[in-house]
Amino acid sequence: MTAKRYGHVINLDLFTDSYRVTGRALVGAGGIHATLADPNSDFLELEDAYISRIIKPGEIVASYALVAFRKDNINFIVLQDRRDGIPVGTQHGRSVFTRGRSIITFLTVPSFEIKGEIHHDGQLSPRAVLVHSMGRFQPLFAATASASLYPEISYSGDLILVHKDRIGIFCLQANS
Amino acid sequence: MARIYVIDDDEQLLRMVGLMLQRGGHTTNLIGNPVDGFEQIMADKPDLLVLDVMMPNMSGHDLARKIRNTPEVENLPILILTARSQEIDRATALESGADGYLSKPVTSQELIEKVDELLSKQNGAPKMEQGIIIALYSLRGGVGQTTLAVNLASSLRRQSQQEVCLVDLSLSGGQASFHLRLQPRTSWADLLTEGLFDWAEIQKRLIIHPSGLRVLSAPALPQLPTILSAEAVTTILNTLQQNAAFVVVDLPPVMSAAFVAALQASDMAMHVITPDVIAVQTALNVNRAIAKANVTMKYKTNVVNQTTLEAPITPAAIEKALNTRIAFQIGYDANQPRALTQGVPLTLTNAQTVLPTAVNRMAEVIWQRVTKRE
Repeated sequence: MTAKRYGHVINLDLFTDSYRVTGRALVGAGGIHATLADPNSDFLELEDAYISRIIKPGEIVASYALVAFRKDNINFIVLQDRRDGIPVGTQHGRSVFTRGRSIITFLTVPSFEIKGEIHHDGQLSPRAVLVHSMGRFQPLFAATASASLYPEISYSGDLILVHKDRIGIFCLQANS
Repeated sequence: MARIYVIDDDEQLLRMVGLMLQRGGHTTNLIGNPVDGFEQIMADKPDLLVLDVMMPNMSGHDLARKIRNTPEVENLPILILTARSQEIDRATALESGADGYLSKPVTSQELIEKVDELLSKQNGAPKMEQGIIIALYSLRGGVGQTTLAVNLASSLRRQSQQEVCLVDLSLSGGQASFHLRLQPRTSWADLLTEGLFDWAEIQKRLIIHPSGLRVLSAPALPQLPTILSAEAVTTILNTLQQNAAFVVVDLPPVMSAAFVAALQASDMAMHVITPDVIAVQTALNVNRAIAKANVTMKYKTNVVNQTTLEAPITPAAIEKALNTRIAFQIGYDANQPRALTQGVPLTLTNAQTVLPTAVNRMAEVIWQRVTKRE
């Protein structure tokens, strides 16, 4: 007998230092951000995962029905719909992730540079943003990630979740 | 109607894509495995292949390359449909030999439009510079005119795979929408309110049926005949004619300025008559009134539509009474009431009963004439 599964399945593109993995994850109401923040597991599991090398991201080199990733080794995750990643709230009451003013942000992780927008309330400083935002992953909205050594290779998403520990450079546009 | 093969390892998506294509008037073969898929493609040589990328054993890209390297099927149009939605994925799909790319999730409309585009490219179907306006009219109600207009438009769409627009000029509430189970939130009345009749404005008012048919709906509430001016009707129809291969107009049973303008703008006017005494008598009077009003029509034809089981008058008697030839005859079809209840025109189903057979034939004749003219 198979166990009943709760939540819904989302499609995502996940990036490690050298690989792009497209797959599906089962998430709850908090989206993939909540799954990544879950302290009970150091791993993220994907179903029907298709693996490509970052230098040839269109070509599939391997596929597996089940794949697990150590969360610390994920650089960022690209989602086409922000509702798959975080709770966005409603028109009348935004969630903690979408509250505040929009700030154009540029950051780097190994092999990639990412540009997008963050939402932040309060003092504008990189430290304040990174410390005060919830979880291990920083949400960047309407974001594009470009490969540092192959700038013609880029990935866009309604939401990119970036592992805070993997961030090298973090820049905020003060008057955005 | 094309034979389309769909290859996807996700059973639910496979079924959903299959349903979308079937509603668009195509026959489908759903295959869950790319290796089996290639064998079936070699054996059956379908008209088009819709292909997923991420599949175990063989990726969609590999299968596309294999097809392009196999002389027997190298020209098969391939549409890649994948959850990989980045620009690089589009480029990789096209490099692998696919003719088109769509990312999941896809709407029925996007899928049908892309499939039609690829099929018309493959068939070398002519791109018409100016569309054909076909106006259906009768001043006697209950002759099945809207049923014919909806079925003819659907059949033309299915056969030509080109843009077809159905214009419901009814003044007594939108009728065509019921036949297509559409719930229009906009109609030609909104164009009149804004007074703008350019393509951009008209396009916003067109409702797209899953079959790809565009519908300019009538307002839900009954209107006075004076609401539609001759100028407005002429401008709307001419604009549609520039942008669609066929414009099928369902005229109201009122001899208004708009009615006359639509007849004059049409390339083909179809007078719909039922085989009964009152309909024939009304048709005679309509012909007289049209002649008296000096309405000039480019091409006029008569269609006899039998809406009841019994036909009191024979087609020959109608031809004699009207002193003109009957171009098309449509017999009684007991399935029509059910089609109306279900909101699916019979020409969009695979039913081979009287009405769809006759209307499909009618559409075929029109389409053949157009392609010969081109």
